[in-house]
Amino acid sequence: MADERDEGRRKKNLPHDPSRRRFLKGVGVAGAGAALAEHLLLKSEAEPTASALADASTRPVEGALNLALDVNGQRRSVSVEPRTTLLGALRHNLDPPLTGPKLVCDMGTCGACTVLMDGKPVYSCLVLAVDAAGKRLTTVEGLGSPENLSGVQKAFVEHDGLMCGFCTPGFVTTVSAYLKKNPNPTLAEVREACKGNFCRCGTYPRVFEAALAASKKT
Amino acid sequence: MQQQTPAKKKKVKVPRVVGGVETMVEIEVDDEGGPEWGPNDKHTLLNHRLTRVDAPVKVSGAALYTHDRRLPGMLYGRVVRSPHAHARVLRVDASAARRIPGVRAVVGATDEEVVEGSNKAAGEAAKKNRTEAGGAEAAAGGKVVLFAGQPVAAVAADTPEVAEDAVRAIRVEYEVLPHVVRAEDSMKEGAPKVTPDPNEQNVEEREKRGDAAKTEAAFAQCDVIVEAEYRTPILHHSCLETHGNVVEYRGGDAATVYASTQGTFTIPSDAAQELGLKESAVTAIVEHMGGGFGSKFGIGIEGMLACQLSKQAKAPVHLMLTRKDEFLLAGNRSGSWQKFKAGATRDGRLVALRATQYRLGGLGRGSQAGQPYIYTAANFYREVFSVHTHEDASRAMRAPGHPQANFAMESLMDELAYKLGIDPLEFRKKNLKDTAYHRQLDRGAREIGWERRNRTPGGGAGALKRGMGCAVGTWGGGGNNQCKVDVTVARDGSVTVAVGSQDLGTGTRTLTRAIVAEELGLGINEVAERIGDSRLGNANSSGGSTTSASLSPSVKDAATNARLAVAAKVAPLLGGAKPEEVKFAAGQVSAGGKTLAWKQACAALPSAGITAHGEWKSNLQASGVHGACFAEVEVDTETGHVRAVKMVQVQDVGLPLNRLAVESQINGGMIQSLGMVLYEGRVMDAQLGLQLNPGFGDYKLPGSLEIPELVPLIDDEDKREAVIGVGEAAIIPSVGALANAVFNACGVRVRELPITPDKILMGLTKGGQTA
Ligand code: FES
Ligand code: FES
Repeated sequence: MADERDEGRRKKNLPHDPSRRRFLKGVGVAGAGAALAEHLLLKSEAEPTASALADASTRPVEGALNLALDVNGQRRSVSVEPRTTLLGALRHNLDPPLTGPKLVCDMGTCGACTVLMDGKPVYSCLVLAVDAAGKRLTTVEGLGSPENLSGVQKAFVEHDGLMCGFCTPGFVTTVSAYLKKNPNPTLAEVREACKGNFCRCGTYPRVFEAALAASKKT
Repeated sequence: MQQQTPAKKKKVKVPRVVGGVETMVEIEVDDEGGPEWGPNDKHTLLNHRLTRVDAPVKVSGAALYTHDRRLPGMLYGRVVRSPHAHARVLRVDASAARRIPGVRAVVGATDEEVVEGSNKAAGEAAKKNRTEAGGAEAAAGGKVVLFAGQPVAAVAADTPEVAEDAVRAIRVEYEVLPHVVRAEDSMKEGAPKVTPDPNEQNVEEREKRGDAAKTEAAFAQCDVIVEAEYRTPILHHSCLETHGNVVEYRGGDAATVYASTQGTFTIPSDAAQELGLKESAVTAIVEHMGGGFGSKFGIGIEGMLACQLSKQAKAPVHLMLTRKDEFLLAGNRSGSWQKFKAGATRDGRLVALRATQYRLGGLGRGSQAGQPYIYTAANFYREVFSVHTHEDASRAMRAPGHPQANFAMESLMDELAYKLGIDPLEFRKKNLKDTAYHRQLDRGAREIGWERRNRTPGGGAGALKRGMGCAVGTWGGGGNNQCKVDVTVARDGSVTVAVGSQDLGTGTRTLTRAIVAEELGLGINEVAERIGDSRLGNANSSGGSTTSASLSPSVKDAATNARLAVAAKVAPLLGGAKPEEVKFAAGQVSAGGKTLAWKQACAALPSAGITAHGEWKSNLQASGVHGACFAEVEVDTETGHVRAVKMVQVQDVGLPLNRLAVESQINGGMIQSLGMVLYEGRVMDAQLGLQLNPGFGDYKLPGSLEIPELVPLIDDEDKREAVIGVGEAAIIPSVGALANAVFNACGVRVRELPITPDKILMGLTKGGQTA
């Protein structure tokens, strides 16, 4: 099976448990350490001491962690578990939540959860919330609002770059980041930039048109 | 605008099937005196390129889908799935799960309720059947799961993470039973019986049609005969928003269900039954919806479980399936296996066709259009069967049964044409009576440059070989009398159109607004729509491409009635004009040489404004569309890789309400066909009875790098002044066109989808043909 974490047959907390979340937990602890060092962890079961950090790198951290996330220019405090993904933190833990980034596959295969981390597009379902502390995060909501759409968002509207719209926040975010990097792309470059995003309704040609149109305006 | 006509009778053109061919015939009907659309080229908003009214909220992440609902005290639900294809559940132990802090409800584990299949109707039928069979399974000590992925329990917890822990903590003991997941195995003597229903065998006859003896005899007159078997695998809808609901029941006598559904009005009764409430006490809300493609009707097993969890916890439960759940238990498009013997004469006539068609729908019956599909064969005989396997039941998926039938029949037509040495396009025309196809084939051929096709399949120098193929398709798309629409005009000039319909991404919100705005001579943003709420006027489910044709006539009728009601109030200010003489255009209301701005006119309305009701009018819609597709592909004969280069699809739709949205639908259809032909397919492990690719990492959807140049063309030669749905029609002809283009490019006829590089390479080594 491609995805062990869903099978419900593995005992939690066995030392040999190879499930992805458990693996991520380990990664997350290192990330949490980085966050601690930056004094961004507001409160934690673990004290931010060198020994705790060293210990943490070998021992899973469990329970609630309070962090500050810098999202769309606001500092937002949020309580998460070490294993909580950035996508989960935005959608479920933040109050009020940010539901622009969509949960579609939860395993880095579709791009609907794309957010910008220090300006770079990332799959927020593959980033742990603790690793996002201290990073500048932008979600689709931060790019523009219905009343004040960004150039890319306007181009998606004008070129019908959406149908059901569930993939759209991911595409808008991906394209926005790409046009910053390459303001004058070719069609081939736009396709390449979008290759990590799926759309089942089949809006691709119009997403490409929108991206090229937005690039001409920037 | 519209005038009441005093005539009692009028002539209308309607599609009729004459001799197996759909044609327009003129008939006389009672003149109801209701509204008409008028000529297709005389509209001010409709038949134009309208951007979606819900686009701004969708591109900015502000649109609230069911998955995005957050309610105070809301719990997150998850399902526990069977890891076995066929097993008896002996014991479900949820005690450890219940001890996890934050776990609020567990259902299914100790219930007598048996959960059977993902399709509620199928589940209930199976349940009933088993009871009628004397409760043998129940007596044997537990419920039986019939496919890997079937839910056996569900949990609700404070956070998704804790819910996942609870799923892991539930221990289920199974007695594994023999399974069968391949059609060939299921058909064998002594194969494990798939369903417990004593009346349902593994292979069930669905249809026998035509004249077997005459067909057999007719093969003698044929100059060429092709015998071939075609197969298509089970496909997944892969809606980006998974199936699911947020059930808000906090005790008491009312509940609200936020649903990701194609049928707002299919939800309350299902939910009421689970919650033990009156149907009228349950409200369904579908504000925005992330794709359905035929898989989202009724509340589903996931909705039943969410209701049970909410009832147990007395708290709202958010239960959206995970992606893996979605693959395993949220339905699929049935696979197909079609065996043909077909013959044609040298002059290009299809003379005889014998078909054995197997629908591979797992626990479901599957669907497959009867052969020879839309072609005319002088003699034909077909036998159609469902073959059951231990896999989740198939559901409707965009044009159920048609893409499968199209692939097989259009491949077969191509094989015959090449064998006869006739241009495949001309061969098609000779066997298609309806001239709409001829017109569309000619237009598509011009657009793609059909004369550039490979004269000899596989011919030409170099490793990269290009080729072209074509195919045609049909669908109904008519509506029915189900939608009740209200249009309200307030004294301040604001206009609201309300109906409980849902927008799956097809543009329902936009067309609803546009019809009203056009009728009242307003801009599209001067009208607001309220949809997706079961408290609003009844509306049909979005299945069979019926939404536009069912909804638009009611909207038009309501808008017309609203216009006349406003006119009646305003007429005295316009020199006492008759209401029918008052003109509504460009934000103004005028008659008898006097003109009022819209808002001035509305100031004459009573303080409560006016509300006008609309009902469905059959003359405003029609049924029967035609489509033709041409595809150009490039095959790398060294790697077997196929790249789609260009696709052109011509489609008629009667009155295109919104050209931009219709074109997007045609694009979407072509892209989903591309997935079906080149990439997608469920892969099962026959030994284990498990799906090997239940995720986007292994189930390949078309992505940005694979999209060819797409040319969606609306066939404006179709002059019907009537609305017809297009969603499903759009996915059909491109399937055959792509497969045929591959043959034209490299000379390999792949008869089993998807056309993957291994099959091309195998075909090349065999000198052209694959099985
Ligand atoms: S949800 Fe993150 S990539 Fe699909
Ligand atoms: S618009 Fe529906 S998935 Fe892209």
